[in-house]
Amino acid sequence: MTHGSLQRSVRILARVGVLMFASALPLVAQDVDPLVKLETRDRFAIDLMIDSANMAGLPSNPLRQMALLGLAKRADGRKIVEAVRKQLNLLRTAREVLGAVDDQELTAGASVLSAGAKPAQLATFRPRKKGRNDLQAFVVWTDFLERKVPNDDAFSAITKLWQDGADDATFYSLWTNVQADISQGLNPGTALQNRIRETPGRPTPLPVKPPEGAAGEPKLERL
Amino acid sequence: MTDSELHPFVESIAREARRPVVTDPAARERIMAAVRAEPVPVRRSGVWSRLVAPRTFALSPAMGTLLAAGLVGIGVLVGNLALNRDGQSAAGRPPVAVAPQLPVSDTVVRFVYVAPRATSVYVVGDFNGWDTTKTPLSRTSQDGVWSVTLPLSAGRHIYAYVVDGSWSADPHAPLAPDDGFGHANSVKLVRGGSSL
Repeated sequence: MTHGSLQRSVRILARVGVLMFASALPLVAQDVDPLVKLETRDRFAIDLMIDSANMAGLPSNPLRQMALLGLAKRADGRKIVEAVRKQLNLLRTAREVLGAVDDQELTAGASVLSAGAKPAQLATFRPRKKGRNDLQAFVVWTDFLERKVPNDDAFSAITKLWQDGADDATFYSLWTNVQADISQGLNPGTALQNRIRETPGRPTPLPVKPPEGAAGEPKLERL
Repeated sequence: MTDSELHPFVESIAREARRPVVTDPAARERIMAAVRAEPVPVRRSGVWSRLVAPRTFALSPAMGTLLAAGLVGIGVLVGNLALNRDGQSAAGRPPVAVAPQLPVSDTVVRFVYVAPRATSVYVVGDFNGWDTTKTPLSRTSQDGVWSVTLPLSAGRHIYAYVVDGSWSADPHAPLAPDDGFGHANSVKLVRGGSSL
């Protein structure tokens, strides 16, 4: 083999190697957890909390999702760890308060607590009929609190509907109407008080029409 | 009869070669002194000598390609073995359970966003690992309606839109609790076969 042909072979080898390495990178990247972007110390702390949640029989996915959300929003690693720790504590409290509910309801209950509800208020929802699911009630309750509806007003409205046996559509109807009123500029507490009076506790027979969205505003269509 | 007898020129060369060489008497001593000053070479075994002796390899391009492919393959395998699924070294790390997978969905949800001036709209949420580039919405009309249809598992989902790089909650969906990172998120409830 002459010197020239040797150099050519080496060049070809190098190019082939680079190409193959580049093509193999996406395969490797698919297996890489996005949480590796966190500093090792923060990642370790989150792993420990996820492990603690599993050991305590709590869902760990909300913790992982919180960490991913923090990363997506480019939050500081320490802030992400704090958010995950808060989420773990909320899940623990929700478990103590609600008892043996499924993971979805437990996470929704933790969200209500995160939005400002008191554990004693959430405990009202512990005794339940078999097969009943309170996801929608918790979601609407959380939204009211996030929209600055006074805590006691929101709790009263949700418990009233819940004790009356309201179904998901009724809760959703209440939320739709209150949200529309708040968008019109009405005080959040007043909007809820007005709407809860006209909301029946029993299932509504007609589907609820969602509010008309102004141009430039996002909306979610249901299929 | 020899060649030197036949050719006087050859005979003259032979005569010169037969003449005794006269050397410097001190030269032998100088040479021996120089030899003694050299370090004694370490004796190596035959196998070691064969291993360390330089060689020249001839490699065809096809064989070189195979060799490169093999090296890359080995690298990927070693990388996968050294790193666990989370991409972190398995050594010195407590066991962590894998996050539970949500059940496969039979519910299809359409996300719609109206933004006439936007150049890109993405939906991000717990259903796509909060990947801000994974689920783009397509502009479906001239009046700025963006949409995407996704299969979602039953349950409660947190999501938001990213419009031209800016986060935006869905004002037509309930709000999720404040996550402390800034920018509100929305909640989507998906029942089996329906969504609210």
